Amino acid sequence: MNLEEKLKILADSAKYDASCSSSGSTRKSKNGIGNTAYAGICHSFASDGRCISLLKILLTNCCIFDCKYCLNRKSNTIQRAIFTPEEIAKITINFYKRNYIEGLFLSSGILKNPDYTMNLLIKTIELLRHKYRFGGYIHAKAIPGASETSLKKLGSLVDRLSANIELPTESSLKLLAPNKEISKVDNIMQYIKKNHQKNFVPAGQSTQMIIGATKETDKDIIGKSESLYHHYQLKRVFYSAYIPVNQDKLLPRLKIPPLKRENRLYQADWLLRYYGFTTQDLLDDKNPNFNLLLDPKADYAVRHINEFPKEINTCSYKDLLKIPGIGIKSAKRIASSRKLFTLQFKDLKNMGVVLKRAKYFITCNHKYFINPEYFEKKFIESNLILEDKEKLTQTKKQLSFFE
Amino acid sequence: MKQTNSIYLYQNTFSSLLSLIQLLIEAKIKPINIKNTNYTPSLFDTIITLEINEKDGINFWISKTTKEIIKTTYYIFLSNNPEKELIIYYFLLNSLKYQNKIFYLRRLNCVTKALKISHQVTNEAHKFKGFTRFKELKNHILYAEIAPENDILILLSHHFKNRLKNEYWIIKDTNRQIISIYDKNKFYIVDNNILKIDHLATTMENEKIEKLWKSFYKTIGIKERQNDRCRMNFMPKKYWKNMLEMSEEIEKNNK
Repeated sequence: MNLEEKLKILADSAKYDASCSSSGSTRKSKNGIGNTAYAGICHSFASDGRCISLLKILLTNCCIFDCKYCLNRKSNTIQRAIFTPEEIAKITINFYKRNYIEGLFLSSGILKNPDYTMNLLIKTIELLRHKYRFGGYIHAKAIPGASETSLKKLGSLVDRLSANIELPTESSLKLLAPNKEISKVDNIMQYIKKNHQKNFVPAGQSTQMIIGATKETDKDIIGKSESLYHHYQLKRVFYSAYIPVNQDKLLPRLKIPPLKRENRLYQADWLLRYYGFTTQDLLDDKNPNFNLLLDPKADYAVRHINEFPKEINTCSYKDLLKIPGIGIKSAKRIASSRKLFTLQFKDLKNMGVVLKRAKYFITCNHKYFINPEYFEKKFIESNLILEDKEKLTQTKKQLSFFE
Repeated sequence: MKQTNSIYLYQNTFSSLLSLIQLLIEAKIKPINIKNTNYTPSLFDTIITLEINEKDGINFWISKTTKEIIKTTYYIFLSNNPEKELIIYYFLLNSLKYQNKIFYLRRLNCVTKALKISHQVTNEAHKFKGFTRFKELKNHILYAEIAPENDILILLSHHFKNRLKNEYWIIKDTNRQIISIYDKNKFYIVDNNILKIDHLATTMENEKIEKLWKSFYKTIGIKERQNDRCRMNFMPKKYWKNMLEMSEEIEKNNK
């Protein structure tokens, strides 16, 4: 098998991992090649619109596990391949030199046992860091069941180390990934959190959940993320809409991956991390799943309409963040500017506020943007939904125009 | 002298522009237009060239404003906006009064414009940090061509000077016909015609690596999730020209 065939197989097996970020680390280049950019850099975008920043590959797609949802499970008859450390180092350096990538994302199927696999990962990354003096970004996957010694070693070589919990509840994991124990993933996260510092996993850890392969509600999923952020200080939780790659009676028969649902989860995830929302704010037992017609923030505002409209000039920064159409940047701009002068609607436009969305939920200098009689839940809700639909058809038209 | 047709000239450099603006402000002149020396005057223009001491100008603005203001001004200077000089003039004029508070005074038209343009420039520079593609020439020099809208070559050069510290590299801005050459120590930005590069031949090894990258790019996209609109949003077609992995897409589109 030549190098290109290997790369095809081992990139194809790695592509379902959603993690793409290359941010959070600031290594300066020394004698070798490469550094990291704190904000991260996207080098390309794949045909599915996802960012490519790292050479995302598996060391091998051989695996002793038999997780039902996974392309690489033991019982699948697919072509198997394994990279040598030298091959990975060579591709990484050559891609990096030509500025194709920001660094390496290295995961692996489990060969023989967890620590054996960990040692292969360590050997590869040591080669890159020491022999090739590679200073670019490296994200490695920790193998569940790995010893603390190997976690320590791998963590000191990479920018980000992570383990995927794959499914939001233990029962689902037992059902679909009988070899994977949730406690082993927990152990890894705990270890990384405890030892996280400048020279150990400087960019922190992340994880991933598959969406739509099991019966959990959005509330289960977002609740799980919330507790992960809280317990392990994760940088990111990634959501990956389930794509049926295997036939199995335990798996749902989906024709189209639940992409809209995945999108809603990402939106909600941002609200958790940056906007001060909690799972309870967004979902409850009566509505355990996100509204597919309306984004979670607008949906929250409509459901809590009695908390609105908020006065832009006086409401707290925390409240500004609750208003649809106002992001972190514009909230900060509003907070700083209103100290200097009283804001008018016109000013908001210059600050990057999406007035189309915000106008229903705010007053500016005690004036409501439209006729105050229209401040009514049903009216606002239907308008927001309509606007989203129009936007969608418009962009579709524009796109077909270009093609 | 009637001011309506007066055009003030500066010497194409940032410090020259800063000095000119200082002189204008001190003389209480509100210019109708400021242009660099490449400007071709029309019949009704009156060209005015003031005697400029570039050093004085820089020192004046450093002492009278802030680092953030000068940085923003510099980014605007790099933009391709035809009115950038006047926007800088009004931005600096107001900066004298408001200092760093100016960044919150978006109700002033010149501030909104200035911040928007400065953002466009840094944004484009950031995109090219990712989208620039080098190839390895036979003499092991890394060579890239870019076609940015704004004059970001200097910003990009700083980035690659840190990143590819121990490589020789050349980046050519084909829109402006200027090149940046890095000698493992410093980079120099010069006119394309000063240096003739005619050995652009690459190695066999380079072709192999390019083939690997193209096949990686094709493999990594998930078919079930194909989304051209999303890709186009993040990576508009204007960037595709010099991106190796997009060559097949361009061909497909041209058919």
